[in-house]
Amino acid sequence: MNITTIKEKISEILTAILEHTNFELHDELTAKDVDGWDSLSHMMIITKIEEEFGIRFKLRDLNKLKNMGSLITLIQSKL
Amino acid sequence: MIFNSFDFALFIIPVFLLYWLILSKSAVYQNVFLLITSLVFYAWVDWRFLSLLLGSIVINFFLGKAIHTAERETRQLLFLRLGLVFNVGLLLYFKYFNFFYDNFFELLHVFGVQKSHGILHIILPLGISFFTFQNLGYLIDVYNEEIEPSNDFLQFSVFVAFFPKILSGPIERAANFIPQIQKKRIFSYQVAVDGLRQFLWGLFAKVVIAENCAVIANPIFENYENESGSTILVGAFFYTIQLYADFSGYSNMALGVSKLFGIELMRNFATPFFSTNISDFWRKWHISLTTWMMDYVFTPLSFTLRRYQKMGLLVSIIATFVLVGFWHGANWTFVVYGLLHGFYFVPLVYSGNINSSQIMAKGKWFPSVKEIIKMVLLFVLVMLTAIFFRADSVTTALNCLQKICSVTLIDFPHTVLTTITATTSILILFFIGIEWINREKKHDFEISNYHMLLRWGLYISLFLVLLFFGKSSETFIYFQF
Repeated sequence: MNITTIKEKISEILTAILEHTNFELHDELTAKDVDGWDSLSHMMIITKIEEEFGIRFKLRDLNKLKNMGSLITLIQSKL
Repeated sequence: MIFNSFDFALFIIPVFLLYWLILSKSAVYQNVFLLITSLVFYAWVDWRFLSLLLGSIVINFFLGKAIHTAERETRQLLFLRLGLVFNVGLLLYFKYFNFFYDNFFELLHVFGVQKSHGILHIILPLGISFFTFQNLGYLIDVYNEEIEPSNDFLQFSVFVAFFPKILSGPIERAANFIPQIQKKRIFSYQVAVDGLRQFLWGLFAKVVIAENCAVIANPIFENYENESGSTILVGAFFYTIQLYADFSGYSNMALGVSKLFGIELMRNFATPFFSTNISDFWRKWHISLTTWMMDYVFTPLSFTLRRYQKMGLLVSIIATFVLVGFWHGANWTFVVYGLLHGFYFVPLVYSGNINSSQIMAKGKWFPSVKEIIKMVLLFVLVMLTAIFFRADSVTTALNCLQKICSVTLIDFPHTVLTTITATTSILILFFIGIEWINREKKHDFEISNYHMLLRWGLYISLFLVLLFFGKSSETFIYFQF
């Protein structure tokens, strides 16, 4: 799966869970930059990503995530 | 030595002057001085546990390094587990041992085993809930590779023992605190003045608001058997305000003092009662504890339960809040307090409104009628849990609630019709008013952009109010935790 498709899917997931599109998906984007993306919604986003991509994360992998770029790399490594 | 004491004034003035006039040459000088000052401060309050604090600093410092340098993941995990056992063990022993010990014998009693047991006298070291949580967070962050461990023992010691936060938080994060003390701090007049303002506001909240509320609430709860439901409700109202003013006042004073030394601690309260639901409330109430619980309890738990979706989320929230409650003390009342808050989340989880967090009536002068109704409702929900927080046993709390739900609720609360209730209510209105105006600011009394006359008018008014309505107090509610 190429990066553009991954980004599109993540974007759809974020929109569905956060119910807004006030974000621009770039590598440096962090949860703090996006309205409503906090520890509660984070887990819903992660679960949805696992479902959509058919992958499983480890908690420690998630804790290491720094920004959108590292999330995309992590997803790629699992595909 | 508490912030609102003469002792503290005598302590802080020379410390402040020495720090900036003589020791401002390098970060090392500043840190050595802060460490010595912090240890003296801790020993001044209670010298008996100074060795415990020092031991905890040494062990956590070396465990942090050990986790980081271990090559295999199993070794890293081993050192992390050692750290968890050590820190949680400290808490369990000093804070919860008697609770489990008593409940164990109670349980035996239920099963018909009659055994008498003595009482163990374990004294709670001051600040233990705060500094052990800080250390736990540090070790987990190092294990998760979110931060590098500190290689500087001096900096790490200051991080743990820094006197403005040692007794009651905020529960700091290494990632926020340590970078600030790695470099030399340079005196900023604006920051120092802002710190003094924040301290003044905290002092007013504690000495005027909390202490006057206590004068009204204490006799009601101490004599609740003879009070009407309506009076207990009035008591619960003033106690809720007392609890907020006491702890947010303490936190503002801690942040203010810290700013005097050029260090910014994390915000602990952000006008929590200006919220429309319980989720929003907890994002603004005791933020350093809530975010700690979110990161180290809720996240792993909800991750484990993620395939159960909303049910998993709900179980994680309720379990996290039970722990939030229990953190406050070894009493079933705190468990019920946490449980109730957890249950308040049920409608939010099922309606999907859990993430709505915003500044109330942003950019407007007044909230809408709908927002007012939501705020009042939220206040009532929190007030009901405050009864458990205040009561010495679950039975007492339930008796209070039973009274509130009885016909005596419509009695006129005569006993509280006093001058102090009237003056306190006016002072509370002023308190809430200023917090409302500053709800979008970095702290409750951030008035640097006000006209000079207005600023000085407010300072002088606060001084006068402190002088005429201030009450001395020996402690803070949160010192017992």
